[in-house]
Amino acid sequence: MTSASSLIRTGPAKGEGSLGQIGLRRAPSDYLVALAGNPNTGKSTVFNSLTGLRQHTGNWPGKTVTRAEGTYEHAGRRVQLVDLPGTYSLQAASTDEEVARDFVLFGRPDVTVIVVDATRLERNLNLVLQVLEITDRAVVCLNLMDEARRRGIAVDAGALAAELNVPVVATAARHGEGLPALLAAIDGVATGAVRPRPLRVQAFHPDIDEAVETCTAQLTDVWPALPSPRWVALRLLSGDERIEAAVRDGALGGLAADSTGLGAGADARARLLEDALGMRWRLAPTFHDALIEGIYAHAHAIAERCVVDGPRRLKVDLDPALDRMVTSRWLGFPLMLAVLAVVFWITIAGANVPSRLLAHLLIDTVHPALAGVAAMIGTPAWLSGLTLDGVYLATAWVVSVMLPPMAIFFPLFTLLEDSGYLPRVAFNLDPVFRRCGAHGKQALTMCMGFGCNAAGVVATRVIDSPRERLIAIITNTFSLCNGRWPTQILVASIFIGAIVPANLAGLASASAVVGIAVLGIGMMFLSSWFLSRTLLRGEASTFSLELPPYRPPRVLQTLYASLIDRTLIVLWRAIVFAAPAGAVIWLSANIHVGGPSLAEHAVTWLNPFGLLVGLNGVILVAYLVAIPANEIVVPTILMLTVLALGDAGVGRGAGVMFELDSARAVGSLLTAGGWTLLTAVNLLLFSLLHNPCSTTIYTIYKETHSVRWTTVATAMPLLMGFVVCFLVAQVWRLLA
Amino acid sequence: MSNPALGLLVFAGLMVLTALVFWQRRGIVARVLRIVRTTERVRIEDALKHLYKGEYYQTPRSIESLAGAIHVSRVQAADLLGRLVESGLARSDGEGTHLTETGREYALRIIRTHRLWERYLADETSVAPVDWHDEAEVREHTLSPPEVERLAARMGLPLFDPHGDPIPTAAGHLPPVTGVALSALTPGDEGTIVHLEDEPREVYERIVTEGLTPLTRVRILSNGAEGVRFLADGRELTLGSVVAAQVTVERRPETTAHVASATLADLRSGEAATVVRISSACQGRQRRRLLDLGLVAGTVVTAELDSPWHDPIGYRIRGALIALRRQQAATVYVDRDPAAVH
Repeated sequence: MTSASSLIRTGPAKGEGSLGQIGLRRAPSDYLVALAGNPNTGKSTVFNSLTGLRQHTGNWPGKTVTRAEGTYEHAGRRVQLVDLPGTYSLQAASTDEEVARDFVLFGRPDVTVIVVDATRLERNLNLVLQVLEITDRAVVCLNLMDEARRRGIAVDAGALAAELNVPVVATAARHGEGLPALLAAIDGVATGAVRPRPLRVQAFHPDIDEAVETCTAQLTDVWPALPSPRWVALRLLSGDERIEAAVRDGALGGLAADSTGLGAGADARARLLEDALGMRWRLAPTFHDALIEGIYAHAHAIAERCVVDGPRRLKVDLDPALDRMVTSRWLGFPLMLAVLAVVFWITIAGANVPSRLLAHLLIDTVHPALAGVAAMIGTPAWLSGLTLDGVYLATAWVVSVMLPPMAIFFPLFTLLEDSGYLPRVAFNLDPVFRRCGAHGKQALTMCMGFGCNAAGVVATRVIDSPRERLIAIITNTFSLCNGRWPTQILVASIFIGAIVPANLAGLASASAVVGIAVLGIGMMFLSSWFLSRTLLRGEASTFSLELPPYRPPRVLQTLYASLIDRTLIVLWRAIVFAAPAGAVIWLSANIHVGGPSLAEHAVTWLNPFGLLVGLNGVILVAYLVAIPANEIVVPTILMLTVLALGDAGVGRGAGVMFELDSARAVGSLLTAGGWTLLTAVNLLLFSLLHNPCSTTIYTIYKETHSVRWTTVATAMPLLMGFVVCFLVAQVWRLLA
Repeated sequence: MSNPALGLLVFAGLMVLTALVFWQRRGIVARVLRIVRTTERVRIEDALKHLYKGEYYQTPRSIESLAGAIHVSRVQAADLLGRLVESGLARSDGEGTHLTETGREYALRIIRTHRLWERYLADETSVAPVDWHDEAEVREHTLSPPEVERLAARMGLPLFDPHGDPIPTAAGHLPPVTGVALSALTPGDEGTIVHLEDEPREVYERIVTEGLTPLTRVRILSNGAEGVRFLADGRELTLGSVVAAQVTVERRPETTAHVASATLADLRSGEAATVVRISSACQGRQRRRLLDLGLVAGTVVTAELDSPWHDPIGYRIRGALIALRRQQAATVYVDRDPAAVH
């Protein structure tokens, strides 16, 4: 065991306690390996190549940062691989960086693999040098060698290994090149066969070096066996509160592996801290700048010596040409609209058939079959009503309407994302969003919202600025999600289509729906602008947007990842919420209080207010009980209308949601229920402007950890919906 | 059915009423909160701060200056001073009112909280610079000592507020004032701005509008009746002597060796330049982000990709293409000739 090992660990200790400290539990495995790296270095490709399908994603405890974990076996040993968030640095300036740093520091991985983009060695070395400051047990994975070769860049991996004094493996993870060597290198460091003694940046600015020297000497006086006093000194001088606390209470001695106990007395520790503070006064406020400058100067020098050739000018380099095209004034926007239109067309056209099949299977076939079985074994009516007509039907409805479009839309979107096109869209649109106090990437989360608002809210993680992210979360509901499209199309074709000549009906109703979607975008901009100037005035705001090189997306991996990450998670949440809602809907229609059912009471009670805002009681009650999913609003409205009319001719009984085969039948039922053109127009508006579904509300809470912002995100659109409907109704009546 | 015109009228009335009640800073809620928050304790704390700053900057303090600083009448100010003496926070002699040891400690704690809040507002929020002081004036009275320490720890134990003033330590240590007023410098003098007085607000607004921040490097061109004419990071500015008196400069000739005049935002498409440094107007998260992206002294940056509306611009920084908004790019000083790496 070398005494020059890092502060954090010296032997293959398992670090259970430390993992617990950052809220992680360790799976049974022989070694724990962390994967660090800049964004866009092919880190996740390395991760996927190593773990294959043995992976799962979740969140870091208490943080809304995605954590991917997986396992693999090598040489008979089981290795747990943790994919850290992609960061440029470990300065803990963002949540991502904090998570990455805390894991390398306190999670005590047996090996930290740093994935490096061979075409941008100098930039990536910034992170490498920072990681090497914290840990000895590191392996550098020099990835994207294929791209480097294509660009005529030759990196000498051997020279880099000699410079950094840690194993360096050249790979091209896309093609599996170099992965066996990477596995062997990880194994070597994990087992202790290879003991790296990495390069530590020694020289920054003369003033800093002097202060570090003084502080280091004091630290070694207090803890003679402290393995990495220089690093501790640097952290103290940077004002790292965690390290300062560790010095103050003597816990730092416990971190030293050979345990010098509490070291010297409290007096010496207090004096040390006081001196460190004195030095900070003299060094500030350019200390941090000088530190980063020093690291980059080293990175530059190392890269100079290791990049032996290139980059060569490519004969055919498509990237700049592509960039000029997609960001050009005249071609950029039409291209963007075209791509978006194609994505939506594929989604809607492609989802149609499987949706109908699923509905046929789950609602028309399985439901009666189950009801038959229940009747046969003599289940009481209330029980089969509650479970089959309530819970089962609501869940089946949500699945059949929601699953197919999501299973098509999300992978398409992920493919675009991976190709590098979407960041360019954010780049083009940023000025519009900037004027509303938002981030260009909100264009992407907004588009995602057209698929599903809950997924759109999760997607806002790509926005790394707190204020802009909150704005994107709160305004996502203004994207008309695919659960609302069917309602829009149905109501528009019945009522809007009817007021124009028959041959124009299709066009009129389609334009009405598109108009509502465009209105939603307008509302999104308006409320972003409003929020950034009022409620969110005080939240922090930063901007930077990397435009990664174009890369051909990996279709199969994308399909798998987007199914797991987005589709299934969102679907699961929707089901969790839809099932109890089904029960509530059935119960409200079947529990009678003094004659009428609860639902009828609610309809009667809410009707005056509903009529005032140009809707009616049935619609309000439907939106109230069908809060888990917009998909079941129309079936609920139909069921409630029948209930309110007391008409047994259509429908399947109290509390059983249903749809009618023809739009005309729906139209005559609704007209019988008192619907006018105004009701229809206001329903279209209210379907756009109302509270997000409960799946989305829950997701917003999970993403913001804040009751306040969740309330704002819920109440603001609802209030806007009532106001808009009210105004439309009054003006309508005034003119009529 | 109700009368639609009446409905619209009622609605308009409600909107006006809501605006009256909730309007930021001028609305009824804001006014009431301000009155409720200005308690006896707040007045005492403000008075202590006023007296302490008098000692620190060695400017005379009187009942008049106190009345002006905390917006009360002279009678109330005299009354307030009397209560400070009664409670042992200050003592009076022939020359005026001075702080006792207890009073000084108390004042330092409030100043610490104030400056920590300013640092917080500058680094962690997007509150405008002119509003930092007023916002901190309110917040400084709301924290208990342990809460103050938690705030400090969360901010990475900062030492300076965004105006360049040192933040007193938890133990009450505050380094002595350094530097001289900008208005007192003579032509040819060079130095670095170390402090910008944030009171009165009108004067500070002028300083902010001119883009002056701590660590801005200045060189005096002339100083006369028309005001002080000087170069601030290469830009020529003129400030009236009243405003210039509120800017403190430390003479550090060695730091002015290199003054850049262009920023990244000035680059034409395809033009390369070498980073000199990031302006101190860019602080907190934003600054750390730019540094981490590789915008440090000596980095060669090319303006590579224009966007349809010329904002943001894609810059090639150490191999990666990074889009920055014009406003951010304007905080990065560069040398347009890439050969002139110093």
